[in-house]
Amino acid sequence: MKRLKTCGLIAAAAACGIASPRAIMAHGFEGNRFFPPTIQTDDPFATDEFSFPNVQLFQDPPSPGGYRTRELDYGAEFDKEIFPNFDLEFSDAFTTLNPKEGPSSNGFQNFTLGWKYELLQVPEHEFIFSVGTDWEIGGTGGKSIGSDSFSTFTPTLYAGKGFGDLPDSVPMLKPFAITGLVGEDVPTEAANPNALEWGIAVEYSLLYLEQYVKDTGMPHPFRDMIPLVELAMQSPENRDGGTTTGTVNPGVLYESRYFQAGIEAVIPINKHSGENIGFVFNVNIFIDDLWPKIFGHPVFGNTETNVASNPPVSAK
Amino acid sequence: MKTRPIMKPLFIVLICCLAGVSAARAHAFLDHADPRVGSTVKASPGEVKIWFTEGLILPFSDLKVLDASGKEMPVSNKHLDPSNGSLLIVFVAPLKPGKYTVSWRATAVDTHVTHGTFPFEVSP
Repeated sequence: MKRLKTCGLIAAAAACGIASPRAIMAHGFEGNRFFPPTIQTDDPFATDEFSFPNVQLFQDPPSPGGYRTRELDYGAEFDKEIFPNFDLEFSDAFTTLNPKEGPSSNGFQNFTLGWKYELLQVPEHEFIFSVGTDWEIGGTGGKSIGSDSFSTFTPTLYAGKGFGDLPDSVPMLKPFAITGLVGEDVPTEAANPNALEWGIAVEYSLLYLEQYVKDTGMPHPFRDMIPLVELAMQSPENRDGGTTTGTVNPGVLYESRYFQAGIEAVIPINKHSGENIGFVFNVNIFIDDLWPKIFGHPVFGNTETNVASNPPVSAK
Repeated sequence: MKTRPIMKPLFIVLICCLAGVSAARAHAFLDHADPRVGSTVKASPGEVKIWFTEGLILPFSDLKVLDASGKEMPVSNKHLDPSNGSLLIVFVAPLKPGKYTVSWRATAVDTHVTHGTFPFEVSP
């Protein structure tokens, strides 16, 4: 199963462009809504992000004539806003494969380069719509772990919607938010199938509840958490690509001042998607708060569209 | 376990990254408020207080109280608590029973700007 981009070795591209601190930040905000960086599905924000580490343990389904294999990925992703609302994204992962029988192997996955542009933002309705493309660069990964020798381009549409604009009669529903994406895998080698990449994340932000709807007196660290369920799917479309595969990923994100930590179960939706329940652990470092002179604003140009309007965390 | 050689440097780098925390300042976000977010109070509160997560620059920070129709209520004496630079206080004119919205804008000492809103109600 080819999973949505969750992995990566640290991007080599260092951020450049130093500017004075200003009313811009890297967190994904839209109106009063903080959209956290999700783990298994990419969020719609073209902002500075540094996801490291992303550790995933999973049991792959047996290949034809092969054995079940335990897969362990250590990944990272770095995103840098280059122009207002436009970023470049770099990711990779180091993978170890331990088959039930036979020798283990390890190596880097193919390096992935991508871009994203925030096309439409409606802060009063906590809505965002973005477009982007990932380029998995063929031949840059290790052959021993089965990295493709060909490249795959994935043009993708992203969207996010918070429900803070619901009527006051349903205040407890306001902390809900969803993000989603749909993309098309286009391999450069004609023998390989095209596939629809799609995913959704449903979040309930206790941060939003406590700080913008109703202070229930919930103590830390619970009020700093965002329970969520992610669905990460891939549907082959042609060339005997097989059936739809994917995972359901229930988990929780914890927001602190300078980083987000998240953990999710990785539950395959069918036997073609994997065996047994895996897990993924992820840390997302808020580099705009740690190094505000370097991050949290585009390299070229300026914008006020990412003004923070909702806290990712309460004071401790 | 074969994963250890890569695990070790990864976590060292992580620790190094997080070590920078002590030298950094974050954006100012609402921690809690009085009246409490979403609460109903029995009488006009007299003043509105917001505790932020960071110290503020007062001239570039603001706090407004709006009634249900969006009309701005008179406030005065915007100031920071002398012993707590992250506590923003304004006096508010007597409020009639009804629903109100507090709209705030906070400029942290690192000059980053945040803003937001929250409701409260004055009961009859």
